[in-house]
Amino acid sequence: MTEVKVPDLGTGVEGATVSMWHYTPGDTVKQDDNLVELVTDKATFEVPSPVSGKVIETAIPEGSVVRAGDLLAIIDERPQ
Amino acid sequence: MRGLEQRPAWLKKSIINSPAIGTTMAVLKEYGLNTVCQSARCPNIFDCFSRKTATFLILGNTCTRNCSFCAVKKGRPANADVDEPQHIVEAVSVLGLSHVVITSVTRDDLPDGGAGQFVKTIEALKNKKGDAVEIEVLVPDFKGDREALEAVVGASPDIFSHNIETVPRLYRAIRPQADYNRSLEALRFAKEIKPDLCTKSGVMAGFGETKSEVVSVMAGLKAAGCDIFTIGQYLRPSTEQIAVERFVTPDEFLGFKKIGLEMGFEKIESGPFVRSSYREAKT
Repeated sequence: MTEVKVPDLGTGVEGATVSMWHYTPGDTVKQDDNLVELVTDKATFEVPSPVSGKVIETAIPEGSVVRAGDLLAIIDERPQ
Repeated sequence: MRGLEQRPAWLKKSIINSPAIGTTMAVLKEYGLNTVCQSARCPNIFDCFSRKTATFLILGNTCTRNCSFCAVKKGRPANADVDEPQHIVEAVSVLGLSHVVITSVTRDDLPDGGAGQFVKTIEALKNKKGDAVEIEVLVPDFKGDREALEAVVGASPDIFSHNIETVPRLYRAIRPQADYNRSLEALRFAKEIKPDLCTKSGVMAGFGETKSEVVSVMAGLKAAGCDIFTIGQYLRPSTEQIAVERFVTPDEFLGFKKIGLEMGFEKIESGPFVRSSYREAKT
């Protein structure tokens, strides 16, 4: 299992908003495919999946604010 | 949702999964160094940190000016850290950087505007053991102080950069304590002192400037001997800074590049995510 977390940028940005999930639990995702879109005051970021596997959990609903270190998703990279 | 509706599709960055990002952050923290990447909340931070590059912000993290676009903390700065030049050398060595960008907050409180710290940092990097590094300095205007400018130019950085930031009409709104002609003169004077010095300047687009105003600034910079010109989209760091008036399209940025090359600039970096020091080491 791989946990995908909001990266710590050390930028002082207080939070980012989860604007769009590209996958839902049960979907299969490939490594480096965009998993979720985050919006900060300054820019829009795509968070790619660090591994290939099955999306087990998308932990934050769209519209919620996340902070560095928050869990975004859990990916099961074991062969299905 | 914040910023989502009005932000065009071309202004999207990918977060890079790279262990080098953590390494860069850890090294910066260990040596107590500030970067403009972090202070300005730069959206290119993942690209740069994953390639182990950073633009060092010397002379503290508190600025004496009040530019409306900038996220760097404003107020009364602390005394300059005498060990900072050596800490930068150590971080540069650990990170294995080949091109180093040194910039600073504006220090109008210091008699030399901080020029001495730039000189010490350049000298320390030149005396560094191991592989030589290319040194780019991105300096404040030093209130037009010729001695300060002479000192920095005299330390022989590889690139001398000073950002003009915007068109003269918008200075009062964007850079209230700066002066367009003083900034232009700083670049012209640097070239006059050292004609073979590579000089560079940049503009942020999206404050409401017109194309002809930008072209006029480019012509002014060329006349001041500027070799490299950069232009990128202004992005508001937070709701505390001035709002974006317009998103300039990628085609318009291509147009600026074409015009600049026709003017005879040695190099033009023009695009939505171009920042004055972004990916400099690769080019």
